[in-house]
Amino acid sequence: MFETRSRASRIVLQVLVTLMVLPFLFPLIVMVQGSLAGQGWENYRTVLSQPELPLFFRNSVIIALITIALVLAATMLAAFAFSKLWLRGREVFFWLLLAALTLPEVILLTPMFSISLQLGLYDTYLSVILPLAALQIPFTVLLARTFMNGIPDGLFEAARIDGATTWQSFLHVILPLTRPIAAAIVVLTLITTWNDYLLPLVFLQSPETQTITMLPQFFVGQFSNDQTKVLAAAVITALPEIIAYLCLQKLFERGLAAGALK
Amino acid sequence: MRSTRRTRTTARSVIAVVSLGLLAGSLTACGSAAREDTSTEKSGTVTWWGWTPELSVAPQYIEKFNEEFPDITVKYQQIPIDGWEAKLRPALASNTGPDVFGLAPGAMFEQFGRFGIDLTSQAEKALGSDWKSRLAPIGVAGLTDKNGKLRALSAGSTFAGPVWINQELFTKYDLTPPRDFDEWARVCAAFAQHDVQCFTQGVAQTAFNQDTLQAIADTINPGLYTKATRGEARWSDPDLVAALTTWKSMFDNGIMQPGALGVQQYPDANNQFMSQKAAMVMMGTWYMQYTRTEGMTPSIQAAGVADPKPFAAVPIPFPAARTGGTPGALFGDSDYGLAVNAKSTNRSAAITFATWMATASAGQQVVANALNDIASLSGVEPQWDKIELVNADVQRPALQEVIAASASVTENRLLSNAALATAIGVATTTVAAGDASPAQAAATLQSAAEAAGVAFK
Amino acid sequence: MILSVGLVYICIGYTGYIATLDWDGSAPDPESVGLANFTRLFADPIFWRAMAHTVLFFVVTFTVQTVLGIVFAVILHSRIRLGVLYKIIIFVPVVLAPAVMAPVFRQIFAADGQFNELLRALGMGSLAHPWLADSATALPVIMGITIWQWTGLTFILYYAAMSQIDPEVIEAARIDGAGNIRVLTSIILPGVKGTTLAILMLSVIGALKTFDVPYLVTGGGPNYATEFLGTYIYRQSIPLADVGYGAALSIMLLILAVFFSLLVGSRQRKDA
Repeated sequence: MFETRSRASRIVLQVLVTLMVLPFLFPLIVMVQGSLAGQGWENYRTVLSQPELPLFFRNSVIIALITIALVLAATMLAAFAFSKLWLRGREVFFWLLLAALTLPEVILLTPMFSISLQLGLYDTYLSVILPLAALQIPFTVLLARTFMNGIPDGLFEAARIDGATTWQSFLHVILPLTRPIAAAIVVLTLITTWNDYLLPLVFLQSPETQTITMLPQFFVGQFSNDQTKVLAAAVITALPEIIAYLCLQKLFERGLAAGALK
Repeated sequence: MRSTRRTRTTARSVIAVVSLGLLAGSLTACGSAAREDTSTEKSGTVTWWGWTPELSVAPQYIEKFNEEFPDITVKYQQIPIDGWEAKLRPALASNTGPDVFGLAPGAMFEQFGRFGIDLTSQAEKALGSDWKSRLAPIGVAGLTDKNGKLRALSAGSTFAGPVWINQELFTKYDLTPPRDFDEWARVCAAFAQHDVQCFTQGVAQTAFNQDTLQAIADTINPGLYTKATRGEARWSDPDLVAALTTWKSMFDNGIMQPGALGVQQYPDANNQFMSQKAAMVMMGTWYMQYTRTEGMTPSIQAAGVADPKPFAAVPIPFPAARTGGTPGALFGDSDYGLAVNAKSTNRSAAITFATWMATASAGQQVVANALNDIASLSGVEPQWDKIELVNADVQRPALQEVIAASASVTENRLLSNAALATAIGVATTTVAAGDASPAQAAATLQSAAEAAGVAFK
Repeated sequence: MILSVGLVYICIGYTGYIATLDWDGSAPDPESVGLANFTRLFADPIFWRAMAHTVLFFVVTFTVQTVLGIVFAVILHSRIRLGVLYKIIIFVPVVLAPAVMAPVFRQIFAADGQFNELLRALGMGSLAHPWLADSATALPVIMGITIWQWTGLTFILYYAAMSQIDPEVIEAARIDGAGNIRVLTSIILPGVKGTTLAILMLSVIGALKTFDVPYLVTGGGPNYATEFLGTYIYRQSIPLADVGYGAALSIMLLILAVFFSLLVGSRQRKDA
């Protein structure tokens, strides 16, 4: 975006961004230091050798993948409708959806619990996936709709004139252009799902279904709190998310090229 | 999206009806009749939820239990304390709760006590008609409700009041443990000269401030604090104002570590003591587990020390607020009781387990030896010859003294009125920050206690 | 969709009902008290303090996060070395659970913490003090931690949004002699306006719900200096088990959030 023709201005920009990023880096360094305090790398080995780890990891992956698929599909369709289709009461429904964003999780627990019991979902993946998706969708729809508003209506109408159905033009015209926001939604949903603590705690009872956020409980008791291993567990838990973010990097960029399509 | 308006309205009304049904269902669920019991006194599978004991300790209890009852399988699940209420509340209200659950006196008992069955007849069956005299009175009182129903059997008790000191730092700098606040301030000045933090407490975690305030008050006027919590004395009593004044002085005369108002007891203050950065800490008898070598080493490591060397942590009587006064204060409760879920489908086996833990000498001996809790069955003491202490010469007499003194304690530590506990916390932090004078804070506390429903005589 | 909206609306209805009760969340016989919980709310000084903190918190965190998010996104869309490294550093705080970071931040801002050490090293030792123990500095620290945590999110959204801006337009502007600042204000900022409004809306709701960071780092203290609507709802609903009052506070939150979202939304529509 910024153009830096001279060598000097390029260096200035580089120094500027480095300075800006330092306050973000500082707590991370302290954290990693903390995870190596005491027994050093042994902390990581202890965390990695927890017998439940592979199971918890698998459960988190399953829950995250299904939630992401649900959220992405529902979001893209809904955002498309809210942005490009003229439906009666469109704005009303959009705002009804947004209002759903506002209640804190703690407050929703009791009603959600009785619902999941009645539906027989308690202690299954779905008892976590459905509330997670339900709480995430309003947020992602808002983002995706904003993004789709930025796509010229002309593109969509041109496709319609060429004889494409609404469905076809959504699939072949709109969807490819939304890759950057889709990537953002995948990343953000992954973070929410992967890091959620309260829902798995309350809804998943047996160790066979519990998630990776339950890992630190082995190092924190009533009157004990092994911070070094909690931090090591946090580093290990964060790695898959960082890797996923890096893998999706290209999608964020590809939007630039797609924008030139018109 | 494709759905027409009509299906939407239908869906809506279905949801509305379902939700109303759920509401009614969830509200009546609590009162529903007991479900069928599929277990017997000698066989079955018992799920046990607790925020304590630790995952390293619980299997010891279960193993010992299975020596006597091999056909009862006990599955223990430890739930992090900060998620305990959120998880337990809906589980108990539905039919998915555990068979046995931990229950602490005070606010938790008020909330969850009613979900446990009355265990009076079980206690009687196990210990005879004089069962009450054989159990620690404080454990029975805190787990019995207004109607005299014993909702849980206390597994063991914890007490607060003592201050724990790092004996090795005291020896190194040739200091003697303080007996009153003047001596305490001098000790702290001496530690400051050697760049050692004197006393640490996580004042941001206000529940622990109650301990210190109660201990101070008890050295001024024993029992007055407890009377005030029960409405038998007023918080504006001059002796309680004096206690708040003493509390404030800790922040001004170098006893309390700087920035205490931003520090939490766990993990912050605990780590400061364990890493030997601070020489004294306000902790209760649950700290006894760290007098054992095998208890102390991992927690020093957990505090971030690379080369852990266990040191002798010793409880001393709380220093007297007034110069020359009598030091010492001890108040406490059952650490946790075991309650049997009224809706359990393994009730008989669950009762067997809960009763064994709390009343069988084998069960109570394991509790005593873990040095986590003080046994509730009278006559059961830790088997000292089987326990490896860091420095038995110094530690054992101090521990025995505390355990002996705890037997006659009648003052509670935990409050059943959560709003009152919050108000006491506010009084301690406003005074500490200098936002209110001790007299003002005491007056505010008095009116807050009245608003919280404490009936004053 | 119906599932999502339906589920949440059941919960809202249920909460609205609970708000009229004097209930501890598990007693079988909740008592109906009508609107008493709401009249109590308006007379509750802690509620008003929490609201004041929430407003201040919103203004500061929204402004700083937006500015930082845009600047990072613009710079990292430019030609820069080690771009991936910067992206990771900004992104990582988003994925770290506040529960894990809370003790780390208490350590950093403690009396003998790294932040004070840093100040002393920079010759500003006179500023060093226990940041979280002081009612006056605890709130700014909480805001700083929140900004640290969430700038990565605004960055990601702006970064995605900027991919929609046509490079040809920027190129054309440059040929007309526009400088970097001019390109930023005349092309990039208008181009990401929708995203800014979306983030504004999310920030309003986020500020009203703020819970994790103050609860875990300071517990709302010292002396309610960092109490927010979100932490106050939690305090009332769980530790104080006053579920009815907690629900009344939640309904208040809902009304405020909807009101402000509509305000932002009406502006958005006007612009469109």
